[in-house]
Amino acid sequence: MVFTTSLFVFYFLPLVLALYFSLLEACRRLGASDRACSLVLNAVLVCASYVFYGWWEPWFVLLMLGVTAINYLCARVASRPSVDPRRKARATRLAILASLGTLGFFKYAPFLEQNLNDLLSWFGVERAPVLALSLPIGISFYVFHALSYTIDIERRTAAPVRSGLDFACYIAFFPQLVAGPIIRYNTVAEQLVHRTVSAERFRSGIVLFVLGFAKKILLANPMGRVADAAFGAQSPGALDAWFGAVAFSIQIYFDFAGYSDMAIGLARMIGFEFPRNFNAPYQSQSITDFWRRWHISLSTFLRDYLYIPLGGNRRGPIRTYVNLLVVMLLGGLWHGANWTYVVWGAYHGVLLALERYHGKRGFWLGMPRGIRVCGTLVLVLVSWVFFRAASLHDALIYLAAMCGQSSAGPAWLALPSLLYTRTSLAVMAVAGVVLAWPVQAHDWSREITGSRAMLIHPLFCLALLVMISQSFNPFLYFQF
Amino acid sequence: MCNKRLIDWVVIVPLLAIIAAPGLIQTAFEVRNRERPGVFEVFDRAPTARNLHDFERDLERSSLVLRVLRPWVQYGRFRLLADPGEKAVAGRDGWLFYEPGVRFVVERRSEPWQPGRAAIDAIRAFRDELQARGIVLYVVPVPGKESVYPDQLAWRATDAGVIVPARTAWLFDELRRHGIAAIDLFTVFRQLRGGRVHASPLYLAQDTHWSPQGAQLAAHAVAERILRSGAIALGNRRYRARTAAVDRVGDLVLMLQSPAIEAFVSPERVLCRQVLEPDSDVPYHDEPAAEVLVLGDSFLRIYERDEPGSAGFLAQLASELQAPVASIVNDGGGATLVRQELARRPNLLKNKRVVIWEFAERDLRDALDGWHIVSLDRSNSIPR
Repeated sequence: MVFTTSLFVFYFLPLVLALYFSLLEACRRLGASDRACSLVLNAVLVCASYVFYGWWEPWFVLLMLGVTAINYLCARVASRPSVDPRRKARATRLAILASLGTLGFFKYAPFLEQNLNDLLSWFGVERAPVLALSLPIGISFYVFHALSYTIDIERRTAAPVRSGLDFACYIAFFPQLVAGPIIRYNTVAEQLVHRTVSAERFRSGIVLFVLGFAKKILLANPMGRVADAAFGAQSPGALDAWFGAVAFSIQIYFDFAGYSDMAIGLARMIGFEFPRNFNAPYQSQSITDFWRRWHISLSTFLRDYLYIPLGGNRRGPIRTYVNLLVVMLLGGLWHGANWTYVVWGAYHGVLLALERYHGKRGFWLGMPRGIRVCGTLVLVLVSWVFFRAASLHDALIYLAAMCGQSSAGPAWLALPSLLYTRTSLAVMAVAGVVLAWPVQAHDWSREITGSRAMLIHPLFCLALLVMISQSFNPFLYFQF
Repeated sequence: MCNKRLIDWVVIVPLLAIIAAPGLIQTAFEVRNRERPGVFEVFDRAPTARNLHDFERDLERSSLVLRVLRPWVQYGRFRLLADPGEKAVAGRDGWLFYEPGVRFVVERRSEPWQPGRAAIDAIRAFRDELQARGIVLYVVPVPGKESVYPDQLAWRATDAGVIVPARTAWLFDELRRHGIAAIDLFTVFRQLRGGRVHASPLYLAQDTHWSPQGAQLAAHAVAERILRSGAIALGNRRYRARTAAVDRVGDLVLMLQSPAIEAFVSPERVLCRQVLEPDSDVPYHDEPAAEVLVLGDSFLRIYERDEPGSAGFLAQLASELQAPVASIVNDGGGATLVRQELARRPNLLKNKRVVIWEFAERDLRDALDGWHIVSLDRSNSIPR
């Protein structure tokens, strides 16, 4: 199920909220303990989450159940006070291998096969048929959730869950299930057992949901159509290519940040508090700064579970650069099984290493803030070309077009009709204002004044009206 | 504190009402009509991905609130932003273009281009089967409006004249390479247009199809080519003609599915040349036993079977050839469905010397049902 559909907004969400709050009220009236109450509510959330997830493909739920069960059982073994250290290590390794193996099989097996075929075909070996697997939606996210639990338990930075139901709720929790943010177990461990539900929190949650919803429907989707046209065009001119790249930058930000806002808002409505996932990334003054603001839950996950275990910056400068590169390469590959993501990750890794090399001596830091922001934005924009293009070949052609290397054919003549429409120009202008706005949705939703309250309802109505009139409604991060 | 509490409720209650209302209204409406609420249908279906998606689609289609609001939203977008929605693209001077047609011109084709290859294979197989029966095939890819009037689509194409999209150029090259006779309407239209919007445009401003003048010009070009080849001789049936005016609401306007937009946009008045049987006022009609069979899509249907009747491509072609023609017409089915129908009606090939096969150029990418090889001996088809 997708947040921005009639089914979710008009049926699933009201039904889940009604059920959740009726049971909460019933628990309170019956004087049930906090624990009993949270178990009942977690059961509702687990059922709702399985329906939500199974809507794409019901058997995907079984796969998720398998990942949930193996991580729960292994962590249970590993968390026993009297467990033999070797047994503990074996249990942890088993959970990690099983989780990464599942991810690897569904996400990377066809990619590896394809590349192996290409390699062997150079030596005249006949191509083998490639596995046709459908990628379970959100697998990268819930596998990371499961890993976070197993590793936290192994490191003893979190206490084991009290029941399998709590753990199933953590893994399957529908607001963040398919496109994050990646919530680490120790962030929500306590909330799975005790959480505060209040009108103020509900209000701030629903406002954040509305803001995310509006970002997705009113800004990301129209820009997505423009980006699709530019990236799919036969021969875009330089202006078209830059326009398309800017459109994609806007699309991917508002698509993903909008989804994160909706997820955090929904969670907040029912009493969970998740950390922010974006913090004005296009106002970054360097690539290092960008990664502190973009998909924060992923970058901190990679920092804590990959970069630091690799040695971080503690083993000398060369090793630090290598670590940065490895982390970003794997981060790129996490986004998808395609060389474009590998190059995208490597590009960011190299830039991060270069910034680390220059440190605070770099001439870049001496530049005025505006220039640093614009320069960073251009570097990020170029990286999005690799992220968006279907193949490396397409990415290079597109970059060449951005440099003015394209031919003026019939496609070039007709392309403006899909790019420079009144809607796309208006949306781009509004998006520019929102991107430059100093206050972020996450903070805005917490401090609701009377005038802000009056803005929310028309905004939601407008977004809903636009939603019901459009069928173009992709979510970019679902594929990851 | 009190103020804060008030704001909480002022925000929460209307937002909850907004999300709950469509479902509740729908259920109340269905219960009042003594129907079972549609939302319960989810329990009637096996939980497969397909069933769940069908249920979601049905729920959305049947929603009373959405059905009422959607046309007005379309109207608002159309008026405020000149945004004709996802199926159309707004051009200049109120012209509308079919979005898949524009994408056909603009988008890059993948290599190897499977749909194009499938089209060539299907055309070759059809040509070979007809040749074995002593029948000559003429392929007539009809230019999209975007190709003939790019200047009405985008400012960049102001002086472009008629353009040939890369995919269509590839098709002509391939047809030539395989010795298949093709009639190039691009050149015909280019000669007439000369880079300007003609006083009588060859295409309708708010429709995907050609104007009566466009149909007439195409029929003239096709007839001239066939007669010149000697495949058939000029007939002796001297059809008469009269002028008939028709007010048409373009199919692109109808695709927006908004009565408010339909009311806002004035219908286009077109003058048609209606072909009449010799020495009578009876409109022209096809004859299955004719020497020429024409297969094609809605470009053959417009003005012929629509109002005013007998004024479309088929009637104009018959008038030019001075002989009736036979036809199989299928909206959107110019690629495969017309040949499948021909395979089901083999008698239609009796007495034929020429088959003219018309399809829209964008069918190379978006053909309904794809491009299949259809055997005329057996009514089976081989998917490609």
